[in-house]
Amino acid sequence: MPMLYEFRYLAPKSVAELTATLREHASDGKILAGGTDLIPNIRNGLQKPGFVIDIKKYDGADRISYGADGLSMGPAVTINDLLRFKDARDRYPVLCSCAHELASHQIRNRATVAGNVVNASPCSDMAPALLCLDAQAVLRSGNGERVIPFSSFFTGVKKTVLQPGEFLERILVPAASAGVTGRYLKLKRIAGHDLGIVGVLMTKRDGEIRFGVSSAAPTPVLVDTVTTKDSPDEAAAKVLASVSPISDVRGTKEYREHMIGVYARRLLAEVR
Amino acid sequence: MKIKLTVNGLLYERECAEHRTLLRFLREDLGLTGTKEGCGMGECGACTVILNGHAVNSCMVLAAEIDGATIRTIEGEANGPSLSDIQLAFEKNNAVQCGFCTPGMVMSVKELLAENAKPSADEVKEAIEGNFCRCTGYTQIVEAVMDLTGRPEEKGELDHV
Repeated sequence: MPMLYEFRYLAPKSVAELTATLREHASDGKILAGGTDLIPNIRNGLQKPGFVIDIKKYDGADRISYGADGLSMGPAVTINDLLRFKDARDRYPVLCSCAHELASHQIRNRATVAGNVVNASPCSDMAPALLCLDAQAVLRSGNGERVIPFSSFFTGVKKTVLQPGEFLERILVPAASAGVTGRYLKLKRIAGHDLGIVGVLMTKRDGEIRFGVSSAAPTPVLVDTVTTKDSPDEAAAKVLASVSPISDVRGTKEYREHMIGVYARRLLAEVR
Repeated sequence: MKIKLTVNGLLYERECAEHRTLLRFLREDLGLTGTKEGCGMGECGACTVILNGHAVNSCMVLAAEIDGATIRTIEGEANGPSLSDIQLAFEKNNAVQCGFCTPGMVMSVKELLAENAKPSADEVKEAIEGNFCRCTGYTQIVEAVMDLTGRPEEKGELDHV
């Protein structure tokens, strides 16, 4: 079926032009990054923006760098840009494990890290890592910049703190989180690419344990109450107390709860 | 708007609607119908082309956002009647059944081999995880690639069912 729905395409060439465009089209514009959600949604009639605003065309949008502040990613950095960046692979293995679990190779070549969190899908694969690594979102609008930790970024299913006219300019993963290790277990319906039924990430730094859980609540969940002294059962109970999965096409509430428990116990047993 | 694309080494310039996908641009504006539309939403990989060196689902890319890009499609594989090495390996190993997924499979394999000349069977499977073959002929496709590149000794044998 052809894409019958018509929209205008805008490609601001500077941050100033982008913020002005976003302000002008606050009600009828949608930001286009990788397009792997927006374009199918338009095709399927789920979204009908009058203006599609390409965020990839200003200088620096695709910049990924590592420095004293940590890892910085612009809004056009793709999942595979992250995986190809040596400093990210060497210093943020947890971020790369989650990135590697995201969708298929073709989608990883196009989908952006920023888009994966701005969509605020409960099944975001990048969110558990960004939560566990204390990452921050640098938001910009015509009124200036504000910095929000990802622990306060998600407000509901597909909802974030982003205001109309505002965009996610950078994702910052602090240098203090470099070297954090962990493992992400993602349950899927098939061995190939799929959205998660549940995803459980456990990270460990200096003896501190954290869990990041996807597809288990209205937003991705951070659990920082588990300690290395907990038994696997105690850890699973703490993780399960923080989530509220629902039944949907990919799995039932009961199956999700069961598997979150299985994964939490398995991950904790590995570090004990 | 005017779109300029280099496709398989040839420069094309066309007037194009701003909401047109790369897939439609290739098939309908350039007449390059080797690239297929399966699902139209990034699940099946039948529309895979190589955009500036990387395999992408052309159904989820707007022509407008890649003005000036370099594209490789299945039409760029054979040179007249001479098939490319990947195509020959697919043919020899019976890796084509109905053929609908084949253009996308070949493009995914092409990007893999550009980055990794001697992949393991697992690496081949990962490279084509975004390409669905509804005839389910995956084993022959993986074997075709392993036959072409040679099996790396330390990376294990492929189990044939």
